[in-house]
Amino acid sequence: MVEATAAPQAGTGFRPDTYKDPELVARLQSRIAELAASVARPVKLMHICGTHEHEMGRYALRDLLPKSVSVLAGPGCPVCVCDNEYINMAIQLSLEPGVILASFGDMLAVPGSIPLAGERRGDVRMSLLDARARGGDVRAVYSAFDAKRIAEQNPDKQVVFFSVGFETTVVAVAAMLKRGVPDNLSIIEANYYTPPATQLLPDLEGFDIEGFILPGHAVTITGLRVYEGLPTRGIACASGGFEPVDVLASIASLLEQIDTGDLTVANPYQRLVKYDGNERAKRELHEVFELAPIRWRGIAEIPASGYKLREPYHHASAARRFAGRLDPLALKGAEHPKGCRCAEVTLGQIQPDECRVFGQLCTPDSPYGPCMVSHEGTCRAWYTYGMHKEQLRVETV
Amino acid sequence: MSRPSDAAPSATTARAASRYDTVRLSHGSGGKLTLELIEELFVATFSNEPLKALTDAAILANPGGRIAFATDSHTVKPAFFPGGDIGRLAVAGTVNDLAVMGATPMYMSAAFLLEEGYDMSELERVVRSMKATADEAGVAIVAGDTKVLERGHGDGVFINTTGVGFLADDVLMGVDQVRPGDKVLVNGTLGDHGIAVMSRREGLDLAIELESDVAPLNGLIEAVRRVAPNVRFMRDVTRGGLAAVANEVVHRQAYGLRVFDVAVPVHELVEQYSEMLGIDPFLAANEGKVLLIVAPEEAEAALGAMKAHPFGREAAIIGDIVKKPEGVALVETAYGSRRVLEMPIEEQLPRIC
Ligand code: SF4
Repeated sequence: MVEATAAPQAGTGFRPDTYKDPELVARLQSRIAELAASVARPVKLMHICGTHEHEMGRYALRDLLPKSVSVLAGPGCPVCVCDNEYINMAIQLSLEPGVILASFGDMLAVPGSIPLAGERRGDVRMSLLDARARGGDVRAVYSAFDAKRIAEQNPDKQVVFFSVGFETTVVAVAAMLKRGVPDNLSIIEANYYTPPATQLLPDLEGFDIEGFILPGHAVTITGLRVYEGLPTRGIACASGGFEPVDVLASIASLLEQIDTGDLTVANPYQRLVKYDGNERAKRELHEVFELAPIRWRGIAEIPASGYKLREPYHHASAARRFAGRLDPLALKGAEHPKGCRCAEVTLGQIQPDECRVFGQLCTPDSPYGPCMVSHEGTCRAWYTYGMHKEQLRVETV
Repeated sequence: MSRPSDAAPSATTARAASRYDTVRLSHGSGGKLTLELIEELFVATFSNEPLKALTDAAILANPGGRIAFATDSHTVKPAFFPGGDIGRLAVAGTVNDLAVMGATPMYMSAAFLLEEGYDMSELERVVRSMKATADEAGVAIVAGDTKVLERGHGDGVFINTTGVGFLADDVLMGVDQVRPGDKVLVNGTLGDHGIAVMSRREGLDLAIELESDVAPLNGLIEAVRRVAPNVRFMRDVTRGGLAAVANEVVHRQAYGLRVFDVAVPVHELVEQYSEMLGIDPFLAANEGKVLLIVAPEEAEAALGAMKAHPFGREAAIIGDIVKKPEGVALVETAYGSRRVLEMPIEEQLPRIC
């Protein structure tokens, strides 16, 4: 078993530099080459975390893999899978008098499905930034606790926190709600739980992914047991950290499983991930939230894949609190702008540069679809790190 | 480096502050209060002959050569941050714009847009900091202007500085002078300013021991040019960080710029916090950094000159100019893999998770 436990942990915590060590990377690189040669056919792997896409781009890790091994990006960007219903809700609420809408910076530029009036570029939709430009009180925050502070400082206003993200963000919201929040704070419930979506992927037509790199941050909380259904469906699994050594160790672990045919849920990221996750965080999370069906933008409604507030916390639900003031028709709407292929990108069915408008109509400074907005979005990462450009061959003098 | 002789002027400014502890609309109306503010704060602090004359325009000596002329407006939140403040920023920014062109910065104007109600003692601190930085850079602040905006129509203090410098007729620098094989250097750790300021933003308040690098670089640049007279190109690395400058260099040129990831000096805390905040240190802002492109045979001398200067202790050769790919700035990782160093798109904001 390949493990990313390269060096003993220092007393004060691990030293990330060890996991960037070029020598270790080189060793893993040749191990991967060996395994790929032994498997002797093209292998497609998938990660399901936007941070993985980002780090793979930043260190150009795909450059280090043999041609026969490809790593695709799956539904791992919370900003990209957040259904437009919640974005539209946030926009509507931000334009209500007396409401302050607090959101992570990443969400601000994501278009929902409300058309942007007077826009010349075609089917362009409104984002929270557009709402702000039209007088909405939209504030960028770094955590749920910032939203709470804003609520305390503005007792005469309603503060709505746009709660987006996977486990890492929703546990913080759960902890905050459990400890009590001011009456004027509510949340838009747009938190997603990944395992049910991964169970769905193998049912897609033409699905040919043989291994998943599991999202390192989320599995520190959920643990790995929830992915046990995948190996029986022919998919190798390995937890994945975010340093180059971590990512390559996960890829090596997956190839090892594929090579031997002995599929399992491996834990090469064991320096942070426990097989059963973080019991305390899970307990707190499930005290406040329960799993319910939720729409994944452009993909489908997936049962038991969204975190919704439990009854004792209904008072903090923005959807409930403002039910009378929201326009239900305007909440729904075409999921992606015309021609945007985010859904296929998110499912790993196409690469971003197969989208006709990639890099043309759709760029990070003027995003057309959601995958181009967040740093974790696949289209954004591809654009930022030039992954669509041909291999960078250097010629010196 | 001459420190300002602050004692006398600050005694007078203290008296001005005791009359009004905040900025009033009449401080910008051109009347008595304006004159008082100009004489007791600006003239007293900046203290130089052309300014003391209080004429409509400063009349200045011309040492000959070509004139370099630059302007920049400054706003920063918070106005005081670890390692500096908006005053130091406003002076250093314009000094650096002139210095990277090969000019010797000499004169500067300062225009203030103040918000009604702005704290007078804070304004005094800003002005004293400007004077200290100007002295450090050897420039004189010889002209100025003050306007006061109604409360709610400004954000405390905005400062515009315009600078004049002189450069010899034979100074020849620019992207068209750059050749494949040239070396790329920086004078120290990248991203300090961006992360230091961000750490003090409302809502983040990270108590980290990191200081902005804001500094006037004309002294350092002069030292380099003495030992490396054929510097091909210089640019101060500010907003947009290394990525922005690298892309400006290669834009439409028949060469590429390669940065070696591991050669780039990054402060440990910047590394740590940028990872936490999801910010790329190569894109983060600096206020006391310059990127130089130097002929290969002069690279070591230039590096040595920087390392001997207080603002260049951690200088490094971070990359080179390559024949191919053309028009591309790229990063080569410690593993030999390569990626594009894309032009930054927007202000760097912390990520979700
Ligand atoms: S390039 Fe833009 S429009 Fe195309 S799939 Fe990506 S986000 Fe959507």
